Amino acid sequence: MSLNTQLVRSLRAPARPTWEEPPGKAGLTAKGGLLVLCCLGVLGPLWIVIVTSLSPKPVIDRVGGLVVIPQGITFVNYRELLSGGQVSRAITVSVGVTLAGTLFSMTVSVLAAYGLSRRDSLGHRFLLMAMMATMFFGAGLIPTYLLVQSLGLTDTYLSLILPSAVSVFNILVLRAFFMGISPELTESARIDGASDVRILLTIVLPLSRAVLAVISLFYAVGYWSAWFNASIYLTDQRMMPLQNVLIQLVQKNTEAPTGLQQAVRTGQLSALGLQMAVMVLALVPVAVASPFVQRHFKKGMLTGAVKG
Amino acid sequence: MTPNAASPSSGPAGPSRRSFLASTAVATAAVAGGMPLLAACGGSDSGSREGTTSGRAADKLLPAYVAGTLARPDLPSKNGSAAGYTGKVDLAALQTSVPHKLGTGAPFTIMSPFWGSPPKGDCAYYKALDAAAGTKVTWQNQDGNTYGQKLGAVLASSSIPDMVVVPGWELVGKIANAVTAKFMDLGPYLAGDKVKKYPNLAAIPSDAWRMGIFGGALRGIPMPSAAATFIVPYYRKDLFDKKGWSVPTSPDEFLSWAKDATSAKAKVYACGDMSWTAFNIFGVRSSGPLGWTIGSDGKLTYRIEQPEYLEALEWSRKLFDAGVVHPDDKARSGDAGQRFTAGQILVFNNDTSAWYGKTAEQAKANPDFRIEGMDIFGPDGGHPTLYASQPATIWSLIRKGASKTTVENALAAADFAAAPYGTKERMLVDYGVEGTHYTVKGGVPVKTDQGNSEVINAWVMLAAPAPYFAHPDYPDVARKQVEWQQRMGAFMKKTSTYGMNIVEPNRYANLSSQFEQLEIDYVRGNKKLSDVQAAISTWKSSGGEKLRDWYKQLLDKNGSGN
Amino acid sequence: MSLTAGSRPDGTRPPAAVEEPTAAVTTAAAKERMPRRAGRAGKVPWRIRLRRDRALILMTLPVILLLLLFNYIPLLGNVVAFQDYDPYVSSNGVTAIFHSPWVGVQQFSRMLGDPLFWSAAKNTLVLFVLQLVLFFPVPVALALLVNSVVRPRVRAVAQAIMYLPHFFSWVLVVTVFQQIFGGAGIIAQTLENHGWGGFDLMTDASLFKYLVTAQAVWKDAGWGIIVFLAALAAVSTDLYEAAAMDGAGRWRRMWHVTLPALRPVIALLLVLRVGDALSVGFEQFLLQRDAVGAGASEVLDTYVWNMGIQNGDFSYAAAVGLVKGAIGVCLVLGANKFAHLLGEQGVYQK
Repeated sequence: MSLNTQLVRSLRAPARPTWEEPPGKAGLTAKGGLLVLCCLGVLGPLWIVIVTSLSPKPVIDRVGGLVVIPQGITFVNYRELLSGGQVSRAITVSVGVTLAGTLFSMTVSVLAAYGLSRRDSLGHRFLLMAMMATMFFGAGLIPTYLLVQSLGLTDTYLSLILPSAVSVFNILVLRAFFMGISPELTESARIDGASDVRILLTIVLPLSRAVLAVISLFYAVGYWSAWFNASIYLTDQRMMPLQNVLIQLVQKNTEAPTGLQQAVRTGQLSALGLQMAVMVLALVPVAVASPFVQRHFKKGMLTGAVKG
Repeated sequence: MTPNAASPSSGPAGPSRRSFLASTAVATAAVAGGMPLLAACGGSDSGSREGTTSGRAADKLLPAYVAGTLARPDLPSKNGSAAGYTGKVDLAALQTSVPHKLGTGAPFTIMSPFWGSPPKGDCAYYKALDAAAGTKVTWQNQDGNTYGQKLGAVLASSSIPDMVVVPGWELVGKIANAVTAKFMDLGPYLAGDKVKKYPNLAAIPSDAWRMGIFGGALRGIPMPSAAATFIVPYYRKDLFDKKGWSVPTSPDEFLSWAKDATSAKAKVYACGDMSWTAFNIFGVRSSGPLGWTIGSDGKLTYRIEQPEYLEALEWSRKLFDAGVVHPDDKARSGDAGQRFTAGQILVFNNDTSAWYGKTAEQAKANPDFRIEGMDIFGPDGGHPTLYASQPATIWSLIRKGASKTTVENALAAADFAAAPYGTKERMLVDYGVEGTHYTVKGGVPVKTDQGNSEVINAWVMLAAPAPYFAHPDYPDVARKQVEWQQRMGAFMKKTSTYGMNIVEPNRYANLSSQFEQLEIDYVRGNKKLSDVQAAISTWKSSGGEKLRDWYKQLLDKNGSGN
Repeated sequence: MSLTAGSRPDGTRPPAAVEEPTAAVTTAAAKERMPRRAGRAGKVPWRIRLRRDRALILMTLPVILLLLLFNYIPLLGNVVAFQDYDPYVSSNGVTAIFHSPWVGVQQFSRMLGDPLFWSAAKNTLVLFVLQLVLFFPVPVALALLVNSVVRPRVRAVAQAIMYLPHFFSWVLVVTVFQQIFGGAGIIAQTLENHGWGGFDLMTDASLFKYLVTAQAVWKDAGWGIIVFLAALAAVSTDLYEAAAMDGAGRWRRMWHVTLPALRPVIALLLVLRVGDALSVGFEQFLLQRDAVGAGASEVLDTYVWNMGIQNGDFSYAAAVGLVKGAIGVCLVLGANKFAHLLGEQGVYQK
């Protein structure tokens, strides 16, 4: 209850504009309750996951599954995961691929979205349709593999970036946003003789920070959670990104990275505890990154509001 | 202590399910369009099939057999069992099976399935083996769980690694035929006396070599496996003793014991998914070519046509219905082996290697833990009928167009990997370098951390000696494994197709593919008996009868009949 | 004002309330742009348009090249749907196409007669409808809920929490669900201790479709709110204020200001979702296939996978994939048309 009260108090924020009527008690409670419920739906399982990842093996064995109430805390799972070398290396790979890939994807996507954003430009409709068609037809594993291989991309990190660099959906969202920027701004710049590149860089992009943040996030998350390309195009297991290592660790009937497997076998570690630690590890970069991205959302909003 | 260390002969050291598949799922084999050569496969060992003219001709393809003269097992093979070494390993008296380096040091690549995380390409273990064998191997260790996809894609590309390890369970669809098209005939290097250059390969039994004939030529270097069944119903002896249970000796007894032993409240369930054992209890043959045999009535039938097939499924389903199977096994989630060691299930089936693996892993954490193999009983509690499994299901192959030097280096590597127990080479392959990868405590080699992270299933995949069990740290387990196989081997029958590497024509490649899923679904109550019966009659009408004719013709030419 | 309205992230169409001000400030330069219809009719010669739009076309080039390379060229591989393709018949998979026999539409007629295909198609459609009804509205509702929170910190925290499940891979989500809702899971155990045995949500084939929808909501609904929040963030507070001045209450403002602002985004996503109706998920179904049986869990994507990759029946898998793609294109065209009829822009203009 106290949590709810606190939430209600925090909801009654000073930021409320004067024209807005103060919320009714019932409405507030309902809203707060709903919000709390949603968050609990996420936090509940997350709590269980975290507690299990921190529980010693005997506790997990005794409970016979996930641990709800902590009975002793140990960091042994995390120590094992992070000291093995492979997980640490995989984290570096994933971070690198995510950064480089996002930068590349954003560059080509922004260019394309802007290139298609003028309703009357030559051929834009055809190009748009050609892009969208790719959303519905898949080429199949073997032809794609043969292509990537004949381009000499197998066993390079480029194979994790190039084949999946373009998300047509993201381009559509960017384009829709660019089209919403009022045309008088760009047209007057054009009349002043500004090139399209200049207009994009000096007018359109500064106005689009919010959507750029969102789409960057989409791309970054895509790269961060991708595992399929790596499993097909990389032969060197040591180049594998984090997700592949983690999936190996969790997947049914799979042997974990050897050192860990050894520890599980000799009864020092619980497989379930390790898996849950893996889940937590996959979350950490997101937990760290999301405040930054969210700040950008806000900046994007402010840009609009202030200038308006 | 790693699972592969002491018994490379029992299949890949990796996930148990995969090694199961080796025998229960897809099978393999050769002779795409080369019917006459098949006759070669008519083994003379069973006595029931005489070799034919073409058989003798094909025997010319095989390497000469030169039995090893090094360490003799104290438990020789009997009834199709593996052999056993139950003494301590005398590290000072290790013998030498490869007196001269056979490799020339010319570099070549090997692609091989790998379960776990592979070590660096220049790790101490790989270096030591290269140095000892005179080879220079670049390993492409691929995740064993997705190996099939990788293999399919690589074979369709024009850059195939020099040597490729192909497990039989990956020979689905058209890959079986691809093996013939993409890999070279090793006859010029191995046939007859030529093999004597590689004494460890020469000591691989001819049965296993015969399985290496693909498309009328000797292409695969086999990893031999024992014919006796290797799927063991394990039980927790310590918990049975504590509760005063006696081991069930019939299907009905098993069910009533299971109901008694299950306590959902305590989160203890009698067993995991016992389907594989059920097939053994009721005498159902495995799938693929081994599923075909000519019965006593002279009729050629496939496993799904056996009345026992439905009986076995029915019994498995009873276990699920009775709620004695752990819910996670019902959902096929997580690892049954870990539920077994945690005491959440009391019986589970796995391959023979789990006997040692579980014993070793639990020794420290749970000293009371005792795992034993249950004897397989028949449908009415009497003797079971067990069918022999193929004498080899994993091969390493060399790509067509590889240079002579490459082939010779690859064979040198395989020869090294096939070194028999009790030799320096075997020790190096299984344990690595003393002091670096293992230390000796009380006469028993114990792997170090470095050993555990580097000495994994790479070299052991290339070839192996005749099957054996040996666990210097738990010699008693090796004895139990061999004795169990020998007891079960006494009830062993060979199907008419035993020992033949048979590739079914491409048009039947997917005929039987739905049954594995159907079995999983039926025993869990997600399909009806009528669904299974319907699938069987569809199977017959949509190609099964024609496939039967094909097999009949093949066996006729082969002079088979049992 | 105009700028605020202009920087709407959905961008396609201003909410009704701002239509006029935007129109009012339209400059002469903007007016000079060709009306769309006239432009296409070719009043401006294409040569001039080419010179004018050269830069724009060049900008799309990298993406076009990437798509050409990685989507279109391998797409040619789909001709194997009309073959009995054997990738190993020749020195590599590409030349193998020229050596494999052509079988016409045999793979397609086989598909039509395959009960497993129809079962997968039926499951796919049922799941699509369920997802449309039970999943699609959730992110919109959540976005409205989060957006109505005034205090920035509470809003940020709630938002951040809701994202989290998106970052679990399906393997992990399924494991956690098994451990909570499975027959030996936390809930079953609690019930067992109170004398109610036999709870097992994870192996109940009849409930499977709801289970997977619930899993999808849990995993991805929070993530789905991002686009909507971005759209909401750009709605000018002036609009709300004006509406409030006119005496519109909380609910009326939501109805007349907030939802119209979201409409273009909703329409866009809906059109895309409908076009992608035959993709309801993949890994999620593959992972839980054995628990409930193929009868309940097989969808078109897993069917293509099992046939093509697991069984190596490439031609048949390609045929099923082609049909699926063709239906997808028809659906997206239809849905877009429908969006136009409702006055929305959809994915592309008329």
